[in-house]
Amino acid sequence: MGRKRVIWGFILGGLALGVVLMMGVNIADTYTSTNESCMSCHYHEEADMLWKQSPHHLNGSGTVTDCAACHLPPKQEGLNRYYMIKLKMGAKDLWAKAVKDKEDIDWEAKRQVDYAPRIVYNASCLKCHEDLYPEGISDDGVAAHLYYDENAEKLQLNCVSCHLNAGHYIEGYTHQKLKGTVDTGPGEIYETPATVDRFESFTETVPGTNASIRMVAVPGGEFLLGSPENEPRRRTDEGPQKRVQISRFFMAETEITWRQFWSFYNETMSEGRTPPSVVYELNGRADLDAVTGPTPPFGFPDQGWGMGDRPAITMTHYAAETFCQWLSLKTGRTYRLPTEAEWEYAARGGTGTPYFFEGNPKKYEPKGLGRLLGADTTMIARYVIYEGNSPARTQEPSEVKANPFGLKNMLGNAMEYCADRYAEDAYARIPDGAQDPKGPAEGDEFVVRGGSYADAAGAVRCAARSHTRHDDWLRTDPQNPKSIWWYSDVKAIGFRVVCEVPENID
Amino acid sequence: MSAKMNRRSFLVTGAAVGAAGLVGGSLLSACSGGKKDAKLTPLREPGSYYIPELPDKAIDGRPLKAGLIGCGGRGNGAVNDLLEAADGITITALGDVFPDRVQSTRESIAKEHGQEVPAENCFTGFDAYQKVIDSGVDMVIVATPPVFRPVHFQYATSKGVHSFLEKPICVDAKGYRTIMATAKQAEAKGLSVVTGTQRHHERAYVESFKKIQEGLIGEITGGNVYWNQGMLWYRERQKGWSDMEWMIRDWVNWKWLSGDHIVEQHVHNIDVFTWMLGAHPVKATGVGSRQRRITGDQYDNFSIDFEFENGIHMHSFCRQIDGCSSNVSEFVQGTKGSWNSQDFAIRDLQGNILWQYDEEAAKAQFTQHNPYVLEHVDWVNHIRKGEAHIEAAETGQSSLAGTMGREAAYTGNTVTWDEISASELDYMPEKLELGKMDMSKYTVPVPGTGK
Repeated sequence: MGRKRVIWGFILGGLALGVVLMMGVNIADTYTSTNESCMSCHYHEEADMLWKQSPHHLNGSGTVTDCAACHLPPKQEGLNRYYMIKLKMGAKDLWAKAVKDKEDIDWEAKRQVDYAPRIVYNASCLKCHEDLYPEGISDDGVAAHLYYDENAEKLQLNCVSCHLNAGHYIEGYTHQKLKGTVDTGPGEIYETPATVDRFESFTETVPGTNASIRMVAVPGGEFLLGSPENEPRRRTDEGPQKRVQISRFFMAETEITWRQFWSFYNETMSEGRTPPSVVYELNGRADLDAVTGPTPPFGFPDQGWGMGDRPAITMTHYAAETFCQWLSLKTGRTYRLPTEAEWEYAARGGTGTPYFFEGNPKKYEPKGLGRLLGADTTMIARYVIYEGNSPARTQEPSEVKANPFGLKNMLGNAMEYCADRYAEDAYARIPDGAQDPKGPAEGDEFVVRGGSYADAAGAVRCAARSHTRHDDWLRTDPQNPKSIWWYSDVKAIGFRVVCEVPENID
Repeated sequence: MSAKMNRRSFLVTGAAVGAAGLVGGSLLSACSGGKKDAKLTPLREPGSYYIPELPDKAIDGRPLKAGLIGCGGRGNGAVNDLLEAADGITITALGDVFPDRVQSTRESIAKEHGQEVPAENCFTGFDAYQKVIDSGVDMVIVATPPVFRPVHFQYATSKGVHSFLEKPICVDAKGYRTIMATAKQAEAKGLSVVTGTQRHHERAYVESFKKIQEGLIGEITGGNVYWNQGMLWYRERQKGWSDMEWMIRDWVNWKWLSGDHIVEQHVHNIDVFTWMLGAHPVKATGVGSRQRRITGDQYDNFSIDFEFENGIHMHSFCRQIDGCSSNVSEFVQGTKGSWNSQDFAIRDLQGNILWQYDEEAAKAQFTQHNPYVLEHVDWVNHIRKGEAHIEAAETGQSSLAGTMGREAAYTGNTVTWDEISASELDYMPEKLELGKMDMSKYTVPVPGTGK
């Protein structure tokens, strides 16, 4: 009898203990999931303020969505996972509060669309937003959500890919298609292109617009294309080094700016969607004296960072080439994208070091224990907008000093398109001593050079190569055919133009 | 699919399994030849797909007021089917663009069914649909030319009215998107929406569907679907008719109104294949032409190669030309056998019949076999039980599949699902009024020319 009672005691006691534990965990969970609890460690007032201005707080219905509703996975997906992530996030915030200064954290980078899916759980969005087709949704909205329904898994689409401003307000964020033309600011409307009768830097003036482009005379010469094998942070596609000859050319002092790009857009844009094949055909005809330009972009291609002299970004390689075609027609000169060899020659400005200024990529981008010590980045920060000083956005050219040729932002700020197609072994195919080498004739992707505001110091070396990722850069574009003018999933891509030297000048 | 639907499908399947004890034996008794494979691999888990209950008559319940939008032949037919399917239903409102249509329908309802539709509830004009829906009806039959379907469905759903949507339910990409979004909204509101793809409510098809899902023909590897018949009807233009009036009265011959016959009629057969497979096509390439159609701007024959995920192909073939062979049927090939709707038989790869729909057995069990009536039984039953039931998304996809095939033939180009579903294709004229139209816009498409 006594034994039975003991067993019963154990069972009941265990049950009671279990219930108490469960209640305890539940209470602890509830307590630590309040906004106040989150904010006690995650003391970033801007996040709080921007949340209060977002549709998840400031809306017609008065419903407020708390931190934990978006920044934790739904419990229904598994309690283990929920608590693991909760503990991890809590520990991270606690650690940050204990050892970091708020100012040292790159908050801007954490708000970007590439980072956001790591801290916002898609399943949590969908837990509340069960119906993606609410009454009153626009036709574009339906098309986008049908695209999401069909491709979410295949392409790993997230709600925040398109609704980045849902939880925290973003100035100027929009889904709308750009309407009409874009204001390019004050300034005289030029009537004629610049006169170029000598090989020296000049300012191109685009007739019918207020756009001017400072063109720097880049003297011809010989240089070593690529990087030596012992260059820190080097990648194998930067070799083998080849000694090549480059003819003189003019190159835009800066990446093409929004003001310059919108001038092109305003003159050539077409509201309706013309099939890509028709656009290619029209723009390929020599007998036409006009070009068919971009369709209106959706959202805000400047990312809300401002237009003006910041580099124009997110256009496709085709849009950049069409810009050159337009500029050539307007000025009577031959504008085009630089070849990869021209680009690197111009970036080096006669130097053969990792950067055109002093410095070791390893020191600028310390890894391992060195990271704790930090690095002296005074020099690189003077010339390059990169991860270390951007904060997570492009900057105006006035923020940096020029290279020895007088060119700005060759390294960093926005990646730049080259005319060449990309091949990993492109340099192996170039004969030593080649004159004005060009890239391979075949290839799906184009060369992209210079790195961007988001890159570490190692990726903004003069020799660092990269390339377009066409399909990935259009991943969330719900249109079909997808845009041939605007990329939806890359931000830091722009271009600069070169102008061929007219034959009749010295 | 909502949890509610899953539960219901589960119960339905449970009931079907129970009923199999009663009928199953006799249905299977038609087997001959081939070995019975005891271990079938189902294509989909039972309960994950919808099997309609098909009683002879709808359950009794609260009285319902029904409206009719589109008083043509199909609209009148649907009214008859509805009133045969269920008791306690009153037709309380009528709408059509043309007064003569409303009048004749009103008279026929009085004569055939003894129901007097109040004169103040008889509406004409392009906005008649709104007035019918706003007149206080519980349910509405939408049987106008298909181009109008998405907008009418959207309005009915916004007002919480149950819809019966005659097929096809869209003829262009814009309409498709409206249908898909509205279908979700209707589901959220707990509405019952049945579409006129009546094969889904035809006993022989439903029994075949079950057998195929159970795995009797193995994995589906391809198929052929047909709607080859003689010329349909047309209307010569009458004196005093405006361009718009003529087009609407002659609507089965005009692209923008009907979607062409591959969508308007052949959608039935395409829909059978997508129903059996449980997937929409991803690509279409095809040919089509106009040989002997008299009015309008449509083709009268199409032959389309539809491609699905996994490389499955389905050939679709439709024709409306007199004096040619007729065939209205579907054929589905699987890894273990095939099924076709000419004799509703499943054959193994040697041609031995493994299973065949037993019409006699079904007749012994049921009295109602008209699928046009049975689809209304299902519609009313869901309304009276208060259960959401939405067929619009599935039929929207088959309608878009037809549209994709049509565009492939019109242009001569391969058209993908991603292209057509996001396309700006919108057949609705900017202005809807009985007047002059820019008739130069309505031309027969010439493949390869972009026109």
